[in-house]
Amino acid sequence: MPVEIVTGNHAAGYTLAVAGEANRNARGATCGIYPITPQTEIVEKVAAFPFTKGRVVPVESEHSAMGVVIGASLGGARAFTASSSNGLAYMVENIMVAGFYRLPVVMVAVNRTLGPPWNIWSDQGDTLMLRDFPWIQLYCSDNQEVSDLTLMAFRLAEDHRILLPVLVSMDAFIVSHTQQETNLPSQELADQFLPELDLPQRMRHDDPKTLGGMVWPDTTTTLRMEAHEAMLRVPEVYEECRQAFRDVFDRDPGAPIETFHTDDAETILVASATVATTARDVVRRRRASGEKVGLVKMRMFRPFPEEALRTACASASRVGVLDRDYAAGLGGVWWQDTRAAFQGHREDLVIQDYLLGIGGGDVTPETVDRVLDDLGTREKAGPPEWADIRREEVLA
Amino acid sequence: MVEIRIHGRGGQGGVTLAKLIATSRFLRGMSVQAFGLYAAERSGAPVQAFCRFDDNPITNRNLIYEPDHVVVLDPTLVGPAILGGLKPGGWILLNTPEGPERFAGDFPTNVVATVDATAIAREHGLGTRSVPIVNTALAGAVARLLEFPLAEMVQAVEEMGFGGANVAAATDAYNALVIHKPESLPAPSSNGSARPGAKPATITFLTGGGGELPLVKTGQWASEQPARQQYVPPCNHVCPAGNDVQGFLHALADDRVDDALEILLRTTPLPATCGRVCPAPCMQSCNRVELDGAVNVRQLERLAGDRGRVALVPAERRGQQIAVVGSGPAGLAAAYHLALYGYGVTMYEAGPSLGGLLRTGIPEFRLPHDVLDQEVERILDLGVESVTGFFVNRERLLTLARSHDAVLVATGLQELRSLRLGVGDSDMVIQGIDFLDRVRSDGHDLRMDNEDIVVVGGGNTAMDAARSALRLGAKSVRVVYRRTRNEMPAIAEEIDEALEEGVVIDFLTQPVSIEQMAQADGDCGENHLVCRRMELGEPDASGRRRPVEVPGSDYQVGCHRIILALGQSPDMAVFPEGTEVREGAELLGVLETPVYAVGDLATNDGTVAAAIGSGRRAALHIHQTLTGEVVVEDARARVRSDVDVWHDEVIKSDALRMHLFERQGGVAGTAIAPTRRRTTFDEIHAGLPDTSEAKRCLSCGVCNECDICVTYCPEGVLKRVGHDLVFDYAYCKGCGICVTECPRNVVFMSQL
Repeated sequence: MPVEIVTGNHAAGYTLAVAGEANRNARGATCGIYPITPQTEIVEKVAAFPFTKGRVVPVESEHSAMGVVIGASLGGARAFTASSSNGLAYMVENIMVAGFYRLPVVMVAVNRTLGPPWNIWSDQGDTLMLRDFPWIQLYCSDNQEVSDLTLMAFRLAEDHRILLPVLVSMDAFIVSHTQQETNLPSQELADQFLPELDLPQRMRHDDPKTLGGMVWPDTTTTLRMEAHEAMLRVPEVYEECRQAFRDVFDRDPGAPIETFHTDDAETILVASATVATTARDVVRRRRASGEKVGLVKMRMFRPFPEEALRTACASASRVGVLDRDYAAGLGGVWWQDTRAAFQGHREDLVIQDYLLGIGGGDVTPETVDRVLDDLGTREKAGPPEWADIRREEVLA
Repeated sequence: MVEIRIHGRGGQGGVTLAKLIATSRFLRGMSVQAFGLYAAERSGAPVQAFCRFDDNPITNRNLIYEPDHVVVLDPTLVGPAILGGLKPGGWILLNTPEGPERFAGDFPTNVVATVDATAIAREHGLGTRSVPIVNTALAGAVARLLEFPLAEMVQAVEEMGFGGANVAAATDAYNALVIHKPESLPAPSSNGSARPGAKPATITFLTGGGGELPLVKTGQWASEQPARQQYVPPCNHVCPAGNDVQGFLHALADDRVDDALEILLRTTPLPATCGRVCPAPCMQSCNRVELDGAVNVRQLERLAGDRGRVALVPAERRGQQIAVVGSGPAGLAAAYHLALYGYGVTMYEAGPSLGGLLRTGIPEFRLPHDVLDQEVERILDLGVESVTGFFVNRERLLTLARSHDAVLVATGLQELRSLRLGVGDSDMVIQGIDFLDRVRSDGHDLRMDNEDIVVVGGGNTAMDAARSALRLGAKSVRVVYRRTRNEMPAIAEEIDEALEEGVVIDFLTQPVSIEQMAQADGDCGENHLVCRRMELGEPDASGRRRPVEVPGSDYQVGCHRIILALGQSPDMAVFPEGTEVREGAELLGVLETPVYAVGDLATNDGTVAAAIGSGRRAALHIHQTLTGEVVVEDARARVRSDVDVWHDEVIKSDALRMHLFERQGGVAGTAIAPTRRRTTFDEIHAGLPDTSEAKRCLSCGVCNECDICVTYCPEGVLKRVGHDLVFDYAYCKGCGICVTECPRNVVFMSQL
């Protein structure tokens, strides 16, 4: 497959389609679709794909789109969908169902600000809202990562040690609508990478059963615990999938966390998605002038890679978390989990939160510079900083 | 890294241009990016697109704040937003037919290049005529500015699936590009905008105040905005008196009868009269004819004239005295307006009472005397003096000229046309005008019982005479007219009414001679009028087809009396020898005092309305001559103050949205039954019962505050403030619904 210039949405839609097509000798592919800016191009791409055995089902809402995915998956199809923002919020009930049915479905989400105020630009508040659901969550920085992690997601989800749905996210417009050279998987290689779907809980006419019926608390607890155990196995299985991907495609889809100059860093930034790559440019420049700064790019949010993060920050005395999201009354979502990861391990560590790029604000190198300048002088962490605005001015 | 920012309007293909450039560099092995700035990308709105390329992998995903180069798809967008951050030494490419020198002063430290990509796109049929797609042409120009072979861009164009015409457009633009370089150019920098401090403070939506929603006014999205316009309605255009027809109908539609009369009295002192006798060209030109028949303007003017009450206040009294000779409609109108200007006016009338032809030539069943009396009274109430029974001859005109500051002669058409019908015709032939005057002055004592009457002519006098004869007891009344009904100058309704009452009309008939029978008792007995059949030949000077005699077609019509109504012509005997009469113009060089001829005497138009207009214009002319003031009569200014564009053209029905009007038949007034009319001189028509007929006025091209636009505006940005239509342009997105919903075409979209 030649390298093409495509948008992030195109990369996602195409990859979902070839993953579905790869199941053509089993029960085929099914995609429930409902449009919402800025993800619509993804399902348009899927709908245009000439499936050998596949169904694209347009429905009347995101809730139903996930309903289609659940039903199709239970029937043995490789099922997937895409959504964004308020559409995801409407889908929530069925997102939960797919998770605790342990269905290996895949959803690509384009991170868009939850309204109101109405805003179509990038903000991770929509997918981070799903943080307590049994879904694996992966975050992408560019079009290549979108394609690679989407394909990875199916293999990871369908592994019998996991059997959990996977969410693959990208920044609205900054990735979804930006055209860039991208190495898309050929069908042949996708077939090679993805085994046919073999779903243990598949529904059959000759073997009727009920899923998710009324049970006692002990059974509920057991099912929750089993999902948790599956989550804990993700890092190990992810590594196996990653190796398999390298073997087939001859490139690395990336680890759950990616470290950059962290070995001897005194100050480390923790960031995800495109904010992370912008921060990497700044860290590279500051390193060149001798500053001991480093970066952790978070590719995986669920399960939260606590141990890898602790290891990466071993040398640091200050960690700045860059959050393009906001949890009301607390601060950044990534910051909360980062703090929790070091709880009982590094009480001396300064872990400061920076809220930036909220509502799609352009996070520029200058913003990251400002963050590093502030972080470098801190002896202890304070309340979350709104990096794009001056709090005093707003409150004046 | 090279960074290019593209400014265009939604729909012009800016993002695709970014991708074309990116693809051309990608095909040379470079890392690339192409993207747009989304959310405001609706058709026509200002939009931006961005392109980056570099030999190394690109990690920066910010917007481009300091572009190396700029492409402008629509030169009307050139402004601070486009120039912001453009690096010295870079180039700016403009899509414009103008040469780059024209813009060189604006960009002293940049290369300026221009190409008419719009024309090239049109030539190659790219896009639609209104929205040409200019991106492939500009891609060719970009290739030349980036100094790489056109073939590389052509490859990108083809790679993206754009075929022949696009390649041709790119090639044309590559060749047609004109480049202007300043004498010294700073060296281009290649840092890209990823360096620290590169971000200008443009993201204002992140600095909003405490808790308030960000202030992004939707009017910023508009590429077109509605504006108000006004056309000339056809009725206003054709009214010989110059009345604001649409204006008074609008007032009547609101049931504001006094306001309607006030509007009429600006131009005419005789609305109740015109509302009865006017041929109403306004109704013939009414656009409502296309829908369900003309608005009954004549009757509505009568209603305003009969029922309205307006207290007129003349201007402060001036010293000058004006003499008006003749008190017909022209003289009355002139006297009225002169009095309103503040002049002392005296009217001189040869007859016993004021009114001229209105009194002597129009029968009461069409224009009752009390109606005329009231209108004359209104003029006299302004302080106009009158002298009746005073015939002005040439000598008296000179006397008047000496004792007045100006003299206005409005004596109408006094010379009656006649017809030679053979020996002895004087006994039984009477002129129509004289007949009508006798009918009026003798009361109804004049009788024509059991007589057969022949009326010769086809104008209103002929109709009036024929119908009066019926009322005087005539056994039969036959009108002979040498052309067809189509050529008859009489008002169509009057012809219809005459026929209803029993008048017989012989069309294409010419009287030849009278053959008198022997008279036993010397009384006026039954004679024969020999008539000859005519047929229509070639058109004459008036455009009407000339009647031509049919040989051997003579026939006899028995009659007791013949009434001639063949028209009149002006009598110039009152003026000094050698006087040239032109309407409204001073009779120069003859007398020291300015003397003017007005009305039929000057124009021979033959309608009351035309005489009124002539009298008003003469009064204005005299006022301007005596004071040196220039009075601009602008009927539009007094109607609306919120109109952006005035059109001098008359609006035709095809410029109205006729489908938005509902069909609604006209309201007819009551009238005396035809059978009873023959016995009475009472006014035939009772007038309209109410003002509802005025609601049928379409108000062509003039806002009548129907406020459909206000109702339909989806943004709620249209308001009626007083009489003004006010747009809140800060929030108007320019959707144009107000334009498509306006049935009378008074809102239009104007390009920003």
